[in-house]
Amino acid sequence: MKTNWVLFGGIGLFYVMMGSIYASIGGDPAGIACLFLSAALALLVAFYVWFTQKKIGTVLPEDNLDGEIADGAGELGFYSPHSWWPLALAVCTILAGLGLIIGWWLTAIAVGLLILSVIGFVTEYEQPEAEAAHH
Amino acid sequence: MRLRPKSPRKNALLAGLLATAALTLTGCKNGSVYGYESDLSSVNETSWHLWRGAWLAAAVVGIFTAILILWPVFRHRRKEGDPQYPKQTQYNIPVEVAYTIIPFIIVAVLFYFTARDQAEIIAKEPSKVMHTIDVTGIQWSWQFGYKDGGDKAVVTGTPANPPTLVLPQGERVAFDIYSNDVVHGFWIPAFMIQIQNLPGIKNHIEFTANKLGEFPGRCNILCGRNHSQMVFKVKVVTPTEYKSYVESLKAGA
Amino acid sequence: MTTYAQPPATEITHAPLPATSKGRLFVKWITSTDHKTIGYMYLITTFVWFLIGGLMALALRSELARPGLQFFSNEQYNQMFTMHGTIMLLMFATPLFVGFANVIMPLQIGAADVAFPRLNMFSFWLFLFGGTMATAGFLSPGGAASFGWTAYAPLANSQYSPGIGADLWIVGLALGGLGTILGGVNFITTIFTMRAPGMTMFRMSIFSWNVLLTSILVLLAFPPLAAAFLGLESDRLFGTHIFDPANGGAMLWQHLFWFFGHPEVYILALPFFGVVTEILPVFSRKPVFGYKGLIAATISIAALSVSVWAHHLFATGQVLLPFFSFMTFLIGVPTGVKFFNWIGTMWRGSVSMDTPMLWVIGFLITFLFGGLTGIILASPPLDFAVSASYFVVAHFHYVIFGTVVFAMFAGFYFWWPKMTGKMLNERLGKIHFWTLFFGFHMTFLVQHWLGIKGMSRRYADYLSTDGFTTLNMISTVGSFLLALSMIPWFINVWITRKSPKVEVNDPWGYGQSLEWATTCPPPRHNFYSMPRIRSERPAWDVNHPEAPIERLH
Repeated sequence: MKTNWVLFGGIGLFYVMMGSIYASIGGDPAGIACLFLSAALALLVAFYVWFTQKKIGTVLPEDNLDGEIADGAGELGFYSPHSWWPLALAVCTILAGLGLIIGWWLTAIAVGLLILSVIGFVTEYEQPEAEAAHH
Repeated sequence: MRLRPKSPRKNALLAGLLATAALTLTGCKNGSVYGYESDLSSVNETSWHLWRGAWLAAAVVGIFTAILILWPVFRHRRKEGDPQYPKQTQYNIPVEVAYTIIPFIIVAVLFYFTARDQAEIIAKEPSKVMHTIDVTGIQWSWQFGYKDGGDKAVVTGTPANPPTLVLPQGERVAFDIYSNDVVHGFWIPAFMIQIQNLPGIKNHIEFTANKLGEFPGRCNILCGRNHSQMVFKVKVVTPTEYKSYVESLKAGA
Repeated sequence: MTTYAQPPATEITHAPLPATSKGRLFVKWITSTDHKTIGYMYLITTFVWFLIGGLMALALRSELARPGLQFFSNEQYNQMFTMHGTIMLLMFATPLFVGFANVIMPLQIGAADVAFPRLNMFSFWLFLFGGTMATAGFLSPGGAASFGWTAYAPLANSQYSPGIGADLWIVGLALGGLGTILGGVNFITTIFTMRAPGMTMFRMSIFSWNVLLTSILVLLAFPPLAAAFLGLESDRLFGTHIFDPANGGAMLWQHLFWFFGHPEVYILALPFFGVVTEILPVFSRKPVFGYKGLIAATISIAALSVSVWAHHLFATGQVLLPFFSFMTFLIGVPTGVKFFNWIGTMWRGSVSMDTPMLWVIGFLITFLFGGLTGIILASPPLDFAVSASYFVVAHFHYVIFGTVVFAMFAGFYFWWPKMTGKMLNERLGKIHFWTLFFGFHMTFLVQHWLGIKGMSRRYADYLSTDGFTTLNMISTVGSFLLALSMIPWFINVWITRKSPKVEVNDPWGYGQSLEWATTCPPPRHNFYSMPRIRSERPAWDVNHPEAPIERLH
């Protein structure tokens, strides 16, 4: 993990430096803004990874120079086997964009369907809550 | 060091290299193998040496590196009886440091000459400027306003009838660069100079044309349908001829 | 379906469950959440776009072979090169990176899939539909966008480019760009959180490192592009004045576009640098030379690439020439370092010139030349001579085609057995390479000279008195030879459908990275078993324990 936040942090600080140099020698406003915003994005990620590493505390198996494959045994996580929702989401997104050109009615319909698709996508694998809680 | 028989691949490669060399040399009609005349304009006087030096440096670096690339392909090729594994070298710090520092030095030298030359080309020297010409890019031709002749000395071209930019030999001219509509590019290839015509902005360059003659000029920033027809001609004449040209514009406008 | 990292209780068979009909196979693919399947969809789709863009290139070259407009009007020609550039850069090369990264990176880091499999598929659809939308402009009454893929303001606004072809282009690309951004997020998260035990960052393959750094560039470069597109579309639809020349809009567009545009070319280059870095050690039977130096050089390139954008604006007369020329010269140094690392990998190795290696050598020679002309262009005085001429067209085809296309085919020949379980035919591969190599150089080498002679880019036509005819004719003949080189490729793909199946994990014999430690093709979640990871070449270590990395101390 350390490599990861150092990478992003280093890039972020490099852009802070570049933005400052560029601004001081008379750079254009768009370039200055883009450089500093790029720095902010990189530093945001760096901070998050640093913070997460601090919280975890221990060395993760993938960062362990002597990590054994067996260390990763057990549940790897949930992998969706297949899904129609990405296609639905993409169709709605594209239709919403197309509506900018064809007409607002299309954007309106597409945004409505988009909201439904997002809900469908996000809740696709939700499990029902324990029965006991509902009786 | 064993001599190897010339492989068909090596022959093919040599043939390819010769063919490409021949192809590149087919364009050598401009008098100079480097593509530009060294003193056609004040810009050429500055840029030409950098151009030639850069190409020579590029050729040295390029040929050296190409040999290094092809050397293992031919000389370290696997053949019958070779051990299964070569030495499993992963790094060599002195070599890596060397090939980081040497390119840096090459680039630093190029930058020094670049910085020196570009300052000269974009310099504004109001005391040396003898004439000012307004260059306006319009869709899809050019308008040249000769300030010496006042507001009436304006020449406007059309795609069917491209205009001529008349310049006095040996006298520094300042150009104020405008656009009426979209971005255009004011480019005189033989003079190694170009600058964009930006709507809403006044651009400025200065140079001196040194030799009499006619040279093509083109718009090189895509500006719409007839971009390809947005050409002009640069005609360098003696200062006397230039003066009478401007007078004729002023009178006959 | 929770996934467990235990060997399956039932017997392992290498045959995947066959779909019972073409319809079921189609549904299986379009609802897939498997990074390999999604990757194959990207590879196939981008190759189709490559062919479409290539046909457009042939159209352009046919028109330019002789003076006079023979086949197209000025306006149609402008649409043709606009869409050629757009398709090649944003619908072929950029998604091709996503395709290769999808197929190979999770295998190389020992992951079971990417971090967000459904988001992965969402990105694919945005790419496909967005690209189709942008190209659909051809079907509109006014035709497709015709302002160049660079869409300079104010040419691209509603006054100078009316017609919905332009709007379809802008919105289609903005949505496709969203897909690319989400892909970048996916890859970074996967590399950060899903590596196998022992796969530390500094044991990761160079290709995977390059995928990481490219994804960072995607996150930094595509949002400004999206912002610029939204601003442009807002000007066109709502009459805003974001890019109004009176407000400095002409320069604002160029700055925003190239802030994206320059990192974009590194987004195109870095993954394919990674591909060749995977192939060189395998066919030299040695480790990558200077692994850490290569990573440092790539990080430098990625970081610097965001600070050089205005070298595309030297000719505007409105940017800081010394700053940008210095940064541009500087970025040539780590690129040169990478070259010497690649040479060092081959040096004193046991080199076998199989087809993938042939493509890599082709890349090295071609990119060398393109990189050198780039150094020429990095110098403003020299840029003033040849910017926006055919010299630049030649330069960028050398670097982009030289990198993306050569490395693409290298990657195809190399990873074909891993993806499909079949080996491509070597002889046809060599015919393919040499035809393409000669065709490419014949097309683009003479264009350097055309630019020096004064031919502007994006010109539909020229005069017979210009002196451009001979070189244009040579270039056109070369382009058709280049096109013909696709024939041995297609024949190869077709005839090897019925080749014998690859039974081993590593048909090349000297594979180094982790993908060569699983079957050809891999199972659904990539690994039934994984070797211990103690270096950057875990597959080599398990297959060739008698030749470990030689450490100098």
